Amino acid sequence: MQSVFVAGAGMTRIGRRSEPLRELMAEAGRVALADAGVETPDAIVVATMNPEEFVGDGNFASHVATHLGYAGVPALRIETATSSGAAAVYAGFAQIAAGLRRTVLVVGGEKMTHLATPRVSEIIGRSIDPYERTYGATMPALAGLVTRALMTRQGVTLREISQVAVKNHAHATRNPFAHFQQAVTIEDVLESRIVADPLRLMHCCPISDGAAALVLTADRASVRIAGVGHGADTLAVRHRLELTSFAATRAAAREAFAMAGFGAERVDAAEVHDAFAPFELISLEDLGLVPPGKAGRATLDGDTSLDGRLPINPSGGLKARGHPLAATGVAQLVECVWQLRGRAGTRQVPDVARMLAHSIGGLATNNWVTLLERV
Amino acid sequence: MIETIAASRCPRCDMVVAPPTTYCPYHPVAMTPATLPGVGEIVSFTTLHTPPEGFRSPLHIAIVELDGGGRFVCHGAGTRGLKVGATVAIEAVDDVYYFSHLGAMERARLFWRRAGHAGDRVNAIARSVAKRVRSLAAKKTA
Repeated sequence: MQSVFVAGAGMTRIGRRSEPLRELMAEAGRVALADAGVETPDAIVVATMNPEEFVGDGNFASHVATHLGYAGVPALRIETATSSGAAAVYAGFAQIAAGLRRTVLVVGGEKMTHLATPRVSEIIGRSIDPYERTYGATMPALAGLVTRALMTRQGVTLREISQVAVKNHAHATRNPFAHFQQAVTIEDVLESRIVADPLRLMHCCPISDGAAALVLTADRASVRIAGVGHGADTLAVRHRLELTSFAATRAAAREAFAMAGFGAERVDAAEVHDAFAPFELISLEDLGLVPPGKAGRATLDGDTSLDGRLPINPSGGLKARGHPLAATGVAQLVECVWQLRGRAGTRQVPDVARMLAHSIGGLATNNWVTLLERV
Repeated sequence: MIETIAASRCPRCDMVVAPPTTYCPYHPVAMTPATLPGVGEIVSFTTLHTPPEGFRSPLHIAIVELDGGGRFVCHGAGTRGLKVGATVAIEAVDDVYYFSHLGAMERARLFWRRAGHAGDRVNAIARSVAKRVRSLAAKKTA
């Protein structure tokens, strides 16, 4: 299999943006291409979760390619709900690994803040099983069900869950691209309003606009994609055999580590899908980064902080960097590339050689693990 | 009276799902029809304070593991004092399933809170009353 390297990385500032989606995606794409020193890629992979509903445009691969001035470059669009960005990176990776293309631009983005929150929730909620939706299930509702089970069955405390948000906000104060750049206290989190009992507002990621891009290449560069894994599970949460662990994450991790030829113990830092704070705790254990039952304690002890043994979400995560849906899976990898190149500024993790990015699609129906290493 | 809930069973892995599906979620095998009693154990529950359009706040949602295996999503009138692992009954009010044992007043209240046309409500009330009378009559004869 052809080795795949990351030659360029770029992203927009995440937050409330007034520019159209195509401009955000063009901005991220141009930064990544300039970073790679590539004028024209051989192919483009576009990730957007639902531009038809959010911005009213379809055929979005051609839309972005043409806007970037690459009307003649083959472009395709990838969608796996909230993990679309990670899936797009896989599609680019696979084209190069198979020898079909030499240089691929991967760009993910979403624009949502111009719509009212109930409308945004409803559009995101369409990725949920239709029967569960007829009972009012939204992403926060399903996350609330998972959280109550986690607290009851695994003994995870609300304080441990809340500390995830405190930590990730603290990291984001050092990230000029983050949606939220202010610190919060554990009291702020515990006293925020209830969204889906026991989940509170500050356990949930914000609605954000933004885009992120990578240039992947067969030519040797400073960062290599060591492994990619994809795992899946039932659309309906009620069909799951367990609520407090995501089978799709475990399968994705197994596949990625097998491809990379190393295990979780060699990972120096990670970007983990914390759309809801308890998901970071669940995922740390599913990924094998922390032993079963220890994620809450490790978080309270500061092990997963920027200066801890295993920094998790140095960017601020979905919680504080923001979660522009299809941009997120790519943005996580942009952060990993910056960290591995030693260019992460005041949030640089020292001596980082291998990083993991983990992305959840829907309510953990379509998850990805991507491993990057410095070469 | 215990409701009967329509479900389906995978002939290969014996997994039971409710409501019924055409194929098993884990196997490309046609499901066989099954029914489950409307009694089970609370797996988890939540309360939404900003529910989606068409639902009133607060909205109580639970996953219930039914006796016989399938997991079921339903609403509830309240979650005060409710615990994971509690045994609940499931009742249909106007084709929507609710957990817990509901008195007549609670049933009526749930019923009127739902969006819908006045005519549908009256018809459903009539059906609900008729069902009660039939079940009472059945008990008397037994």
